[in-house]
Amino acid sequence: MSDIAVPMHAPANWGRMTGAALVVAVLAFALLGPLIVPGDPFAQSLMKALAGPDAAGPLGYDHLGRSIFHRLAYALRLSPAIALAAVVTAGAAGLMLGTLAAGRGGWTDRMLTVLADALLALPGLLLVLIVLAMVPGTALGFWAGLSLVLWVEFFRLTRAATRDTLASSAVEASRLLGFGPVYIFRIHVWPEIAPMMLTAAAFGTATAIMAIAALGFVHVGMRAPTPELGLMMVDLLPYWREAPLALLSPVIATFALLLGLTLLAGSRSA
Amino acid sequence: MTLLKAEHIAVADGATTILQPLSLHLEAGEPLVILGETGSGKSLLAQAVMGTLPAGLAATGRVSLGNRILDAARAQDFRRLWGREIAVLPQEPWLSLDPLMRGAAQVAEAHRLVRGLDAAGARRRAASDLEHLGLAGAGDRYPHQLSGGMAQRVAIAAARAGGARIVIADEPTKGLDSARRDDVAELLLAELARGGGLMVITHDLALARRIGGRMIVLREGRVVETGQTATVMAAPREAYARDLIAADPESWGRRPAGPRGAPVLAASDLAADRGGRRVFSDLSLALAEGEILGVTGPSGCGKSTLGDTLLGLVMPVSGRVERQPGLPRTAFQKLYQDPVAAFPRHRTLGRTLRDTAALHGQTSNRIDQLLTRLRLSPSLLARRPGAVSGGELQRLAVLRLLLTRPRFIFADEPTSRLDPITQREVIGLLTETASQEGCALALVSHDTALVGKTADRVISLDSCPPAEDRTGNRPVPAAV
Repeated sequence: MSDIAVPMHAPANWGRMTGAALVVAVLAFALLGPLIVPGDPFAQSLMKALAGPDAAGPLGYDHLGRSIFHRLAYALRLSPAIALAAVVTAGAAGLMLGTLAAGRGGWTDRMLTVLADALLALPGLLLVLIVLAMVPGTALGFWAGLSLVLWVEFFRLTRAATRDTLASSAVEASRLLGFGPVYIFRIHVWPEIAPMMLTAAAFGTATAIMAIAALGFVHVGMRAPTPELGLMMVDLLPYWREAPLALLSPVIATFALLLGLTLLAGSRSA
Repeated sequence: MTLLKAEHIAVADGATTILQPLSLHLEAGEPLVILGETGSGKSLLAQAVMGTLPAGLAATGRVSLGNRILDAARAQDFRRLWGREIAVLPQEPWLSLDPLMRGAAQVAEAHRLVRGLDAAGARRRAASDLEHLGLAGAGDRYPHQLSGGMAQRVAIAAARAGGARIVIADEPTKGLDSARRDDVAELLLAELARGGGLMVITHDLALARRIGGRMIVLREGRVVETGQTATVMAAPREAYARDLIAADPESWGRRPAGPRGAPVLAASDLAADRGGRRVFSDLSLALAEGEILGVTGPSGCGKSTLGDTLLGLVMPVSGRVERQPGLPRTAFQKLYQDPVAAFPRHRTLGRTLRDTAALHGQTSNRIDQLLTRLRLSPSLLARRPGAVSGGELQRLAVLRLLLTRPRFIFADEPTSRLDPITQREVIGLLTETASQEGCALALVSHDTALVGKTADRVISLDSCPPAEDRTGNRPVPAAV
């Protein structure tokens, strides 16, 4: 019954707004913080070990007397940068392969689907660990390993949505009118998958940051003295009673960043 | 006896009145037909009387049922009447039945939960209801195992199980072919004969004629004409009602055969399969410029498959299709049943049309000329496909095809979603195009009258057995 269209009032999207605000706040801290309070994340001063906040170190000092503020800012530049690079690579690969699988069908589709399913059967962290062992350079290893894990999600989304779109009468009509594959991708397929891609990218970034922190926490990721969220947490864990703020700073920052990204992704049904 | 009386029912969307105040009454044993085109407010009227208006719309007026008087503005008061006093026959029954429940269980559920019988009693009543409707064996089947007609009867049994005396059917024949349309009419009239009230909302003139009783003709939220259905249909007093009734394909004049040009397309001994089933075989046809070929047959009989074969979208199982050599692939075009689904939905219509014109080396002047010729407003071009009415969008679809200078158009049920007046306009436009542009046209429709009055020649595909009622499998309804 659609005799007369009812005007719909889009509900204010508080979730996404809050998510965006959290992510912007964390990134602003990472990028602008050290400019406002200059300092060195690697400088040690055992005199200040586990000391409370002061003007040069607004968040206090860790067990080696390094400024938590500057280490945290550095860590919050490193993880998101690796995660973003991995998501961009994985997104591009997933998008291309997914479109290829949906468009070509047949053996191309079957081989790519089997490959994606096989990767999905391996635990993601294990896969990242294997790649880290093979690739020289930890950041490069994380980027390669995470890309390898993350592309599957983009591939599956793209393939499913593109298949439906390519089977629609709108695409059939465009083909009959003489339009080529590039036009069909640009006009029919991309508008359908773009919102999904953004959601998947936000989730993927959160997953990647989480993975880097988790491997750092068990001492198999980034190596000391590189400031990294997971490493900072595990290093400061023994001193939780003496310096609770030092331990809480990386925990709160990680939590805010991951919550922000998840809210930004929004619910898939929306 | 008056079962239902509605007085001064009006519907408003904020400050705009979209249904002007109107009154109606429903008598036992006498059907009431609400006739109107898309957007005339006929569904709103039914929703206001049932208290099911979408959020944002407000109704005013008074509805009396027996000795109860209800205020149309208080929709929540209507809730306890649903199923007990007023039953609504769903539009597309196989979509409204629970796919995971057997037929008898769905009817028994209504008996138990709405009427309040115990489990055993409800089962017995459900069985006797189904037997009464000639569905004795269907109770054990799941909806996907029922034919469209059987599903409709199960749906009506479930709708009536609460003991409602008034049945409201909103577009009960939407998407059905003429044979099944008559079944639905008979079914509704049989329900009426059991001593209830019946209100049918439709734009289908053939259904209105079969139902009879009294009629209200609506247009743009206003009553245009009321009276006995037979009288209104035979001698409408108002100009609009006259137009509406004259637009019925039954009352069209025959189209004189136009001049024929060079041959465009020939097919010989075609056979095609769909879903592993042979839909037609040994089919031969030839088409010349300016010629109109009608294709009829019940749903699921391969009409669309024939089109896809002729256009080269699917390969025939045997036989061959020869397109006139020298014609580009884009000279063979298709017009879709649902124009909304045939346009890129995120792009404005103007951009889609300009893309097409540019691809075929035409200027946007040509679009303007065609807009004038097809009586379309240029303001439509700024909108997206979902924001344009079906009739206008179908004309825009014709415009888009004309930009490719087509020699053959396969029109697949181009008007089955349109009301009669718009249908006549679109069909007129297509026949005009065929003769002016020298283009061959294959016109597919389940409406034999329409095809008979329009086409030079008619192919009927009903020779193939409609497998549904025999095997209990219903062909998948055409993709929307």
